[in-house]
Amino acid sequence: MIRVDTFATDSFGDYDLRPGKPLPFGATLVPGGVNFSVYSSHAKYCELVLFNKHEFEPFAVIPFPDSYRIGNVFTMVVFDLDFESIEYGFRMDGPFNFQEGHWFNKEKFLMDPYAKACGGRDIWGVEPDWSNPYQFRSRIIMDDFDWEGDKPLEIPMRDLIIYEMHVRGFTKHASAKVKYPGTFAAMREKIPYLKELGINCAELMPIYEFDEFENSRISEASGERLMNYWGYSTVGFFAPKAGYAASGKYSMQVDEVKTLVKELHKSGIEVILDVVFNHTAEGNEKGPYISFRGIDNKTYYMLTPEGYYFNFSGCGNTLNCNNPVVRSMILDCLRYWASEYHIDGFRFDLATILGRNQDGSPMHNPPLLETLAFDPVLGKVKLIAEAWDAGGLYQVGSFPSWGRWAEWNGKYRDNVRKFIKGETGQVAGLVQSIQGSPDLYDSYYRGTCASINFVTCHDGFTLMDLVSYDGKHNEANGEGNSDGSNDNDSWNCGWEGETDDHYVNRLREKQIKNALSILLISHGVPMILSGDEFGNTQYGNNNAYCQDNEISWLDWDQLKKNIEIFNFVKRVVAFRKAHTILKSRDYAIDDRPGESGYPEISWHGTKAWQADFSADSRCIAVMFCGKSLSNTEKDDLIYIAINSHWEAHEFELLGLPAGLSWHVFANTDMPSPEDIFDLGDEKLLAIQSAITVGARSLVILKAK
Amino acid sequence: MEIKTYLKEKATVICLEGNLDGLTAEYAQENLMNYVIPNCAIVIDMTDCHYVSSAGLRVLLMTAKQLAKIGGVGVFSGLTEEVKDVMEMTGFSSIFESYNSVDDAVAAIRKE
Repeated sequence: MIRVDTFATDSFGDYDLRPGKPLPFGATLVPGGVNFSVYSSHAKYCELVLFNKHEFEPFAVIPFPDSYRIGNVFTMVVFDLDFESIEYGFRMDGPFNFQEGHWFNKEKFLMDPYAKACGGRDIWGVEPDWSNPYQFRSRIIMDDFDWEGDKPLEIPMRDLIIYEMHVRGFTKHASAKVKYPGTFAAMREKIPYLKELGINCAELMPIYEFDEFENSRISEASGERLMNYWGYSTVGFFAPKAGYAASGKYSMQVDEVKTLVKELHKSGIEVILDVVFNHTAEGNEKGPYISFRGIDNKTYYMLTPEGYYFNFSGCGNTLNCNNPVVRSMILDCLRYWASEYHIDGFRFDLATILGRNQDGSPMHNPPLLETLAFDPVLGKVKLIAEAWDAGGLYQVGSFPSWGRWAEWNGKYRDNVRKFIKGETGQVAGLVQSIQGSPDLYDSYYRGTCASINFVTCHDGFTLMDLVSYDGKHNEANGEGNSDGSNDNDSWNCGWEGETDDHYVNRLREKQIKNALSILLISHGVPMILSGDEFGNTQYGNNNAYCQDNEISWLDWDQLKKNIEIFNFVKRVVAFRKAHTILKSRDYAIDDRPGESGYPEISWHGTKAWQADFSADSRCIAVMFCGKSLSNTEKDDLIYIAINSHWEAHEFELLGLPAGLSWHVFANTDMPSPEDIFDLGDEKLLAIQSAITVGARSLVILKAK
Repeated sequence: MEIKTYLKEKATVICLEGNLDGLTAEYAQENLMNYVIPNCAIVIDMTDCHYVSSAGLRVLLMTAKQLAKIGGVGVFSGLTEEVKDVMEMTGFSSIFESYNSVDDAVAAIRKE
C-alpha cells in the first residue's frame, strides 16, 4: 500500500518537497525521502543546507517555507536524496543581541543537535582543514540493525563489577596486537580478555562525538601534540565518535558500536556510557559556532543576566539542563541510546549541574533528574552520578535519587587510599566504606547499591602510580605541573617512580593487591580502572586528559610482566561473584545472629570481637556471615584481616561451628603462587586459633 | 551497478559489479530476490564490487535472511580486501561463507 504522504506537494529548484513532521527531531528516513526537523524558538528563518561529503560549499540550500513551520519547529521532507553520501546542516537567522543571549548569524553552518552521526572527524587525529566553514557535519544513518534477539542485560546492581575504560587507549598501543588499534572493533577483539578478568560491565569514557583537536597544542615540555584525548566535551549527543570506529572513514560507526554492544552482551558484559551533558564543545564567548549557539543560544545555555555563559563546568559554558526543551533533548538522547544501542546504563559527568536551575542555583527536586529516574524507557538502566561540579556543589551522599540514582563514592576512594597508605585514624572510615558507606547512603532509602566504590578512576593516578609516586608528574601536559589534583593520598613505597629495587616493587605489588582486595570485598558496586589489573602506569601523570600517546595507552606488555597481579585480581573477582555476602545489599545489614551464630557483618581487631577504632590503630578484621543465593543450605563464613601497619600482627581467629575450619583464600604477604588460590582450592590453615598478617598485608579466609 | 548472472553446475552465480550503496541498493535487492527461491543455490560474486555502504550491507544481510527463511543456500566469492574489512569492522562478516573464487564457491555448494 502506498501512503498518500509519499508524494511531493511543492518543489524548490531541483528538489521535491512536502511539509514534514515535527517529531521526531533530526533527520528521519521516510518513504522516498528524508524528514528534517529542527527546533528554535527564537529563529526567524531557517534553511537546510546539503553538502557532498567533505565539500566546503553546499550543493543545495533549501529554505524551510513559513507554511511548513509548526510551533517553534522547522520541518520539511525532501525527496530523492542520496542520503548516504550527503552531509546536512542548517543556517538560521534571528536577533543578534549579546545581553539578550541571542547569537544568530545567518552565515554559519550549524550541525543538527539531533544528528545521529557526525562527519568532519572521521579518522582520529587527522588534522581537519580549518578553512572548511562547516567542521562538524550532520549525517543520516540507517537505524535498522540485526540485534539477533539482544536486549540490555539488566544485571542487578548488587552483582555488577564495573571496568572503567577508554575505547582508544584500551587497544591503541602496539602491544595490544589487534587488527584495528584504538577502535570499537578492536575492543570487540579483546572481549575474551574481559571475560577472563571476570568483569561484567564496561564503562566507556565519552564516546559521543567530540573534537580531539579542541584546544590542541604542542607541549613545550615534551614536543608532543596535546589533544582532547578523554573527550569530555560533547559535539553531538546522538552521534558516536567516528574516530573511535575503524569504519569511521566509511561513516559506518553506528553499526560498529551496535555490533560491539551486541557482542559484549553475548559475553555477559553490560555497557555503561560516561555521558557529558553539563556543557558542550562550543566553549565560552570566544568559542566556535557548532550547533546550539547558532540555533537557540538562549535556550540551550545558562546565561548570566549580562548574557555571559555561566561556567559551572569549568569548560566555558553550562548546558541549560533544566530548561524544558533541553530537558527533553537529554531525555530523547538517553532514550535513543538505551533503545537503539541497547546501552545498559549511564554515568553522568559533573551531574550536579543537571540539578541546577536556569539561574544556576541548586534545586530541591530537579525535574530533569526526576524525569530520568521515572522514565519508562529508562526504567531499568543504571543511572550513576558524578555528584559534584566545578562550581563547588558537592553532593556525594545527598544527590537527589528517588531510589534510582547511584553515585561515584569519592569518600570511599579517599578512605581506602588513606588506610592502605598507613595513615593514622583511618579504621573507622574504612569500616564505613567496606559495609557500603551507610554513613552516606541510608539503608532504607538508598541502600549500598547507591555507592559506586572505586580506588582509582580515569581522573587521577592509576593504581600502580598511586603506589609509585608521592606527587603528580604532569610536566608533559605543558602547564608547569600545575594542573591535576594535589590531593592524591598516594605513597611511593620508598622511591619516586620506576625502580629496580626488589623490595620496593614487591611492596607496590602488595599494595595493589591490598587495594583491589578491599574494593572487591566491599559492599557497594566495585569499579576497576582499566589496566590496574596488570599494573598499568601513566608515569606519574594524574591528569592525562590530553595525552594521546604511551602515557595513556595501555601497555599490554605489562600484563606479561605483572601477570602475578592479573592472576590475583581475576581470582578475587571470581571470589566476589561466588559469594553473595560480599556483594552490595539493597536491604539493611542485619546484625542479629544468623544460623551459625554470627551476625551478618562483625568487626574484629587483633583480638576477636575487639575492633580497635583508636587513632593509632592500623588493624581491622571483618567477618561476613550469611547464605549465598546459590547455596541456601548453610551460611558462608568469610573473614578478612587487614593490616596497614609496617609490622606484622597476629589476629586472633573466631571459633567455627563444628565441622568447619579456616582455609586461606588469599594472603597478599605471600609471593605467588601462595598469594591466592582458586575457588574451591583454598588452603587449610595449620593453626586455627590465630593468623599472622604480614606488614601492609591482607588475608582472606573462608570457612569450609 | 551492473548485475550479471549465469549458471554454473546447480548454482546461480550473481556478479555484482560496481558500488553497492544507497543509489544501487534497491536495484540490487530487487535483482537478488529474483533468484531467492526454495532450494536455490546462489553464489554472489563480489570480485568487481569495490565498495559496500551501510545500505549495501543491509541488502546482503536481507538476502541471507530471506534465503534462510525459504531454505536456500548462499555464499560469497571474490570479496575484495576493502569490502572484507568493512564487513569485519561493522560485524557483518558472518552473513555468508566466503570463498576466493567462483570455482571454490561452487565446489563448496556441491558438497552441501
